[in-house]
Formats: sequence, C-alpha cells, structure tokens
Amino acid sequence: MTNPRLRAVLLPLVGAALVVAIWQATVVLYQLPMVVLPTPWSVVKTLVALPGTAMFWRDVGVSVFEFGAGYALGMILGIAVGTLMGEWRLFRMAATPVIESLRFIVPFAWIPLTILWFGTSYVGKIALVTYAVFFVMVVSTARAVLHVDPLLSRVGRVMGMGAWQLAWSVHLRAAAPTIASAARAAAAVGWIAVVAAEYIGASAGLGLMITNAASSLATPAVIAGMIVIGLIGAGVSAVVGWITRTHLDY
Amino acid sequence: MLSRHAQGVLLGLAGVACALVAWTLLSRWLAIGGGAINRLPPPWRVGAEILAYARGELLVDLLHSLRVFALGWLVGAVCATMLGLLLGRVKALGQVFIPVIEAIRPVSSIAWVPLSVVWFGFGLTSKVFLVGLAVFLVVIVYAVDGARRIPPELDRTATMLGMRGAQRFFQVVLPGTLTEVLIGSRVSLMAGWGTVIVAELVAADSGLGAHLIAVQQSYNVPAVMATMAYFGVTGFAMNALFSVAERRLTPWVPRGEDTR
Repeated sequence: MTNPRLRAVLLPLVGAALVVAIWQATVVLYQLPMVVLPTPWSVVKTLVALPGTAMFWRDVGVSVFEFGAGYALGMILGIAVGTLMGEWRLFRMAATPVIESLRFIVPFAWIPLTILWFGTSYVGKIALVTYAVFFVMVVSTARAVLHVDPLLSRVGRVMGMGAWQLAWSVHLRAAAPTIASAARAAAAVGWIAVVAAEYIGASAGLGLMITNAASSLATPAVIAGMIVIGLIGAGVSAVVGWITRTHLDY
Repeated sequence: MLSRHAQGVLLGLAGVACALVAWTLLSRWLAIGGGAINRLPPPWRVGAEILAYARGELLVDLLHSLRVFALGWLVGAVCATMLGLLLGRVKALGQVFIPVIEAIRPVSSIAWVPLSVVWFGFGLTSKVFLVGLAVFLVVIVYAVDGARRIPPELDRTATMLGMRGAQRFFQVVLPGTLTEVLIGSRVSLMAGWGTVIVAELVAADSGLGAHLIAVQQSYNVPAVMATMAYFGVTGFAMNALFSVAERRLTPWVPRGEDTR
C-alpha cells in the first residue's frame, strides 16, 4: 500500500464496496421489501437487462434527441446574442433588464406552459432546453467578451480590423475558454431540464420511464433509470469537454 | 448631454418597452392563426393575474414553498458542512469516500424525484429530502475544499501561536470551511429553488408549484405566466438577500464582480 497510484485506485474501490455493503446490510437487517429498497444485486440485474429491450432504446433516443436539438439551438442563439451584448454597448444596456429578469425564471417553471403550448411532443422539450442553455450562454458569453484584455482589441485595431472581424477573430477567441466552461454547465442544466419535463408531460423518454416505473412500484427499475440518467449526463459533459479541449488547444 | 447612468436607465426602459410591444404584437398575431401557440395572452392580462393572485392565495402558497426550501436548504448545508469537515480533515476517510460522492453527483437531485416519492410519499418530507439533496451535492464540494485548503500562512501562524487541537480547529479550520460553505450555499440557492419547483410540480399538494399545475390544468395561460413571474421574483429576491448577507458575514473575502 505504499504505491500512491495503487492507493488512488484501491481506496475509492474500498469506499464503493463499503457503501454497497451498508446498502445490502440495511435491506437484510430491516427486511425491507423490494418496493422500498431493492438489493444492489437486483438493481444490477435490472440495469443489465435494460439494453435488451426496444423500449429502453426508444426512451434514450427520444431524450438524447430532445436534448441535442435544444442544446445546439441554445448554444448558437446564446453565443450570438451574448457576443452582440458584449460588443455593442447600446444593445447591452437595452437588453440587460429583459435578460436579467427572465434569467431568474428557472427553466423548470416553464414546463407547464410548454405543455399547454406544445402538448407532450418533443417540440416543447426542445424549446425548454433551448431556453435553459440560451440563458447560461448569453450571460457568460457577454461577460467574457466584455472582459477581453483591451490590449488585444487595440492590437486588432492597429492591424486594421473592422468591428465584425475584431469580434469574430479576436474577442470570441480570447473569450473561448470561459465560453467552453459555460458550455459544460449548460449541458448539465439542459439534460436535467429534459428529464424534469418528461416527468410532467411526455409520451416517451427516460424521465417518463422512471416515473412509470415508480408508479408501478418497480423500484429496481427506478434506481437503474437514475443510474442511466446520471451516466448519460456525465457522458454528455465529457463529450462537450472533449470537443472544447480538442478545438481550443491554444 | 445625458450622464452615463441616465443613459443606461433610459436604454433599459426602451429595451423593456420593446419586449412588451413585441409580446403584444405576437399575442395579436398568434390569436389569428398561430398554430401550436394559439394561447399567448397579452402582457396586461398577465399583469391583471399577477395582481389577482397577490390578493388571493399567493401568501399561503409562497409560505409553503419557502418552508420546503428553507428546511431543505438548512438540512443540506448542515449535513454537507459536517461531512465536508470530516472528509476534508481525515485524509484516509476522504480518499475512501470522496470518489463515492463524486460518482453520485452527476445524478442530479431532479433524477431522485420518483424515488423520493416512493420513499416518502407526496408530503413535506419528500420535498425537503430532494431540496436537501440538491443543496448537499453542491455545498459538499465547497466544504471539502474549504476544510482541506487552509492557507499555509494561517497554518504557520497558528503553529507559531502554539494553537493545537480544539483551539486550532475552532479558530482556523472551522472559519475557513464556513467561508467556503457560504459561497457554496449561495451557488446552491438556484439549484435548491429549481428543485422545489420540480418537486411541487410532480407531488402537487401545496405551494406555488401545485398552484402552477392547477391553473395549467384549467388552461388558464395568464395565471400560469403570473405564477412563473412569482417564481422568478422569489428566486431573484433570495439571491439578492443572500449576497447582502454574505457580504455582512464575511467582510474579509475580496469580492470583485459577481462571481456567478
């Protein structure tokens, strides 16, 4: 146990094993029924069986599609409007009160309204994710563009760049690291917004899958679904992180 | 020549006015044949609902929601602080259990809603659990960080002054941790408030979220939008209050611009 790298791998495993052991012991000691708390083993079995069903892939596909479409839209709109706010003082002053007051209406509060407007279709979820991602991106893009080192702008102007060129090839580039970390935060918010929207009104998706499992008291399926939601969330964040890292290697 | 400040106020008002005009025109246009969104009320009808709700049940609903929020937030922050101190100061425990917490964190508190309903039903307990979890998952990171990273110069000063044991803990470690916990608590405000909304929408028995579902089910779009506005105002007020409280409680922390 002297090798620090070995310790770094082993100790978390010990921790995970302890947690699973406590979980198992709780179920056995208190003789909890499956509905309240299933054994770790039954959750693993359900989790392994999930990819074999067509329903599961449909739910994953719907949720990921709703997220992906909304995320792309929200990123494009958010970065565009945010850049405009950072670059153009008049627009920033006019838009700030509107953006700031809407920003505090969290995406979840929009769920009932999107259901009234779009029903349980995926359009409503895409709109919701777009909204959630848009506000994260607008605020951080505007701030990042505004706080670019003024020296860089002066260099650009000396080189004869116009306002558009300056915004595109100097300001956005200098602001890119901040925008990249906001992109990861936005991915987490957007993914959870999809799941929450599917709780309340949806015809397919992971959120619907686990609420259905909960109302039919299939608790192992609920926990397995939560693990899948967590894994996809972590996966999305890793993919966004990887894309930003490989494309922003300066 | 207008001052910069006056110019900002005027432009801000112009922006709000533009947004309201656009909203009115949109509602007119959608009423004729908007397809999917055929129920967008004009701003004044939403304003009338905002006033009507304020004269009616607003206070009762708001107090329900705020009680859930405050209880959950307190439970989450206190648990996170204690566990953070333990895992941050006792190195072996930290190495064993911090990775486990890191593995749970990507499962947002929102994903726990159905399980919490199975465990605790639709009442107060399940909502407090969810909000507590949301706050805990944010604050634990700050608490562990604060407990671990005691600035070296403070550490040396404490040694020089001959502090040890309990005195060192209460004079150096605890204040350092609590400062970080306070930052984490502010960051977790919106996560906690968002969780209150989702929990009340799903387990709709009381609070602003239950009201939102009730007016939604009667297709009362102006009332839906009025309730959303109250959610926003409450979130904003909590954020503002907490920023002021934070500045009072930890005046030594350098604060440039808003860090969020």
